[in-house]
Amino acid sequence: MDLRTLTEINAPAGHEQALRRALLEEVRSMGLIPYLDRMGNVVCVKEGTGPAPRKRVMISAHMDEVGLIVVSATEDGFLRVTPVGGVDPRVVISKRVLVGDDNLPGVIGATAIHLQSAADRRHVLGYNEIYVDIGAKDKAEAEGKAPKGTYISFDTKYVEYGDGFACAKAFDDRVGVHTILEVLKEDYPVDVIAVFSSEEEVGCRGAKGAAFSTEPDMGIVLEGTTCNDLGDVPDPLQVCKAGQGVAVSFMDGASIANRELFKKALALGQEQNIPCQVKSSVSGGNDGGVIQRAREGVPVVVLSVPCRYIHSPSTVIKLSDAKSQLDLTKALLRAI
Amino acid sequence: MDIRNILAEAAAICGPSGHEMDIAAYFAEKFRPFTDEVKVDAMHNVIAHKKGTGPKVMLAAHLDEIALLVTKIEDDGSLRLGMVGGVDPRILPGSRVWVHGKEKLFGTIGALPPHLMSAEDRQNNYQLKNLHVDLGMTAERVKEQVKIGDLVTLDDRATELLNHQFACKTMDDRACVTLLLCAAEYLQKLHCDADVYFVATSQEEVGSRGAETAAFAIDPDLAIALDVDHATIPGSRPDSTVPGDKLAVSVGPYIQPKLCDRLLDCAKEHNAALTVTVAGRSTATDADEIGLTRGGVPTVLLSLPLKYMHTSVETIDLRVLKEGGRLLAHFVSELDAGWEEDLWI
Repeated sequence: MDLRTLTEINAPAGHEQALRRALLEEVRSMGLIPYLDRMGNVVCVKEGTGPAPRKRVMISAHMDEVGLIVVSATEDGFLRVTPVGGVDPRVVISKRVLVGDDNLPGVIGATAIHLQSAADRRHVLGYNEIYVDIGAKDKAEAEGKAPKGTYISFDTKYVEYGDGFACAKAFDDRVGVHTILEVLKEDYPVDVIAVFSSEEEVGCRGAKGAAFSTEPDMGIVLEGTTCNDLGDVPDPLQVCKAGQGVAVSFMDGASIANRELFKKALALGQEQNIPCQVKSSVSGGNDGGVIQRAREGVPVVVLSVPCRYIHSPSTVIKLSDAKSQLDLTKALLRAI
Repeated sequence: MDIRNILAEAAAICGPSGHEMDIAAYFAEKFRPFTDEVKVDAMHNVIAHKKGTGPKVMLAAHLDEIALLVTKIEDDGSLRLGMVGGVDPRILPGSRVWVHGKEKLFGTIGALPPHLMSAEDRQNNYQLKNLHVDLGMTAERVKEQVKIGDLVTLDDRATELLNHQFACKTMDDRACVTLLLCAAEYLQKLHCDADVYFVATSQEEVGSRGAETAAFAIDPDLAIALDVDHATIPGSRPDSTVPGDKLAVSVGPYIQPKLCDRLLDCAKEHNAALTVTVAGRSTATDADEIGLTRGGVPTVLLSLPLKYMHTSVETIDLRVLKEGGRLLAHFVSELDAGWEEDLWI
């Protein structure tokens, strides 16, 4: 399954059904046996080719993406919404969305510039002032089409552009999902516990359950991470740079990389000419934080694809960085 | 006529103020089947003439669109932007754009992410100077393709919502040009003595410059300008908007009152819903310039309600657009030699 297909599937945190179904089918078509666990994670254990006892290595990528959810409808048929995961309200104005499982088209507008006062122009619209317009004629129609709790995703087509870049929604973390699917096509000496986790964007809930249930010896977290390498950002705050390879974290807001795994990842990158960079800022958090603390503790390392404009309707990656993430993951699984 | 298709095709054509060549050529072809003579003039106005022996009437809606342009190419290859017409910077972060360099290039608009901002900065909207266009190329490659002053237009995908609501960029005012097409088509079915000029005007967003010269050239007896007006949305201030489900006609000093009454009577006669909105002075549309052409042109302003003006999701009701075409056709077909009687008393 390619990145176009994966990013155009809608799976806001807590509502990953569509992607879950697609992944179950995809993994089965590879001749492997996936299963669903109690947290709705899609898990597939692929036995290693090495002699027993083998290490059990969890590779995890989260299925879910940020989005919106309907909280009410106005008398005149507009939908009030709140974000699911971190979505800056400043990036949703003038965007198209898809509402519910029937992908009902909607738009997010705002008061026209002609009607704004000077104060209005400065004022950041909060989610109490932002609404989704599906064209409903009144409250009853809006509630019928999109009852409270209906999930909403950005309506963004995948586009490849520039010199090897791609723009889509949800590269965080469909890049990781894609990498796992590619990893599963080959054999490794270790047992690979592939976890497509749920609900990362709202507190890494899926991975916490999966890391307990699958009892891995170590974890490799495959992520998309923020990258701010254009515009006004001073160098140290850029975190990583698109096009310079997979970003290896020594530490982020939720986990500290196991030093051996961290050093091994960088060494393998150098040995095998896999472009990689060290993530230069301690920021963000991901499934690594909960995997690290599962049971008696699990050594983890996080390998991320740099994503510009993360959590926006149009995130950007350089495709070669996704390839580097895949190459480094495979190299690690062979070297452990 | 496939209105949806025309609206979507027109939206995908680059035509910021002063650069209406391609969109003018597109609409010129669309008017041809319904009129006797079509030309595009030096200002890129499309003038489609349906010949008649009665009063000479000019019907005008504008072609041009608001846009951005490249003001600087940064060392990292990102582009800085300026404006053509009134663009709301609030709509830009996370938006997709087309950069019209040597080739048409896809770009996306980025900004400093919130976690790198001070708490104070997070309380303010992004300003145009802090946004950049990302073309996914090195500065060297960007400089081969793009130069200062190249145009940047907004994402042009169309979306249809429930109840015939159609959302896309440039519904302001290509939806009204399409309304003119509907009128021209409808007029085929009616008896018409009037000498009718359908005009798709240029440079409205920077001051109705195309309408000014087109009206001079045509020298009409009377005119109807068509433009969009703000439809009511949640949070609209009182009296700043019009209902989204019907056409609106303006009243006020810039509008010829008897012609306005005539339009209201016509709407009543033909069961077309038409509301009245008040313009205390300037209407900020082509009506202002056309009305002051040569010795003066009695002019009215008919408006199509639109939500979210000057965004990439400008939303109109297709039924209202069609209804506007029908009303306009009846109005024109009923213009007779006596239209000017008692106009000012």
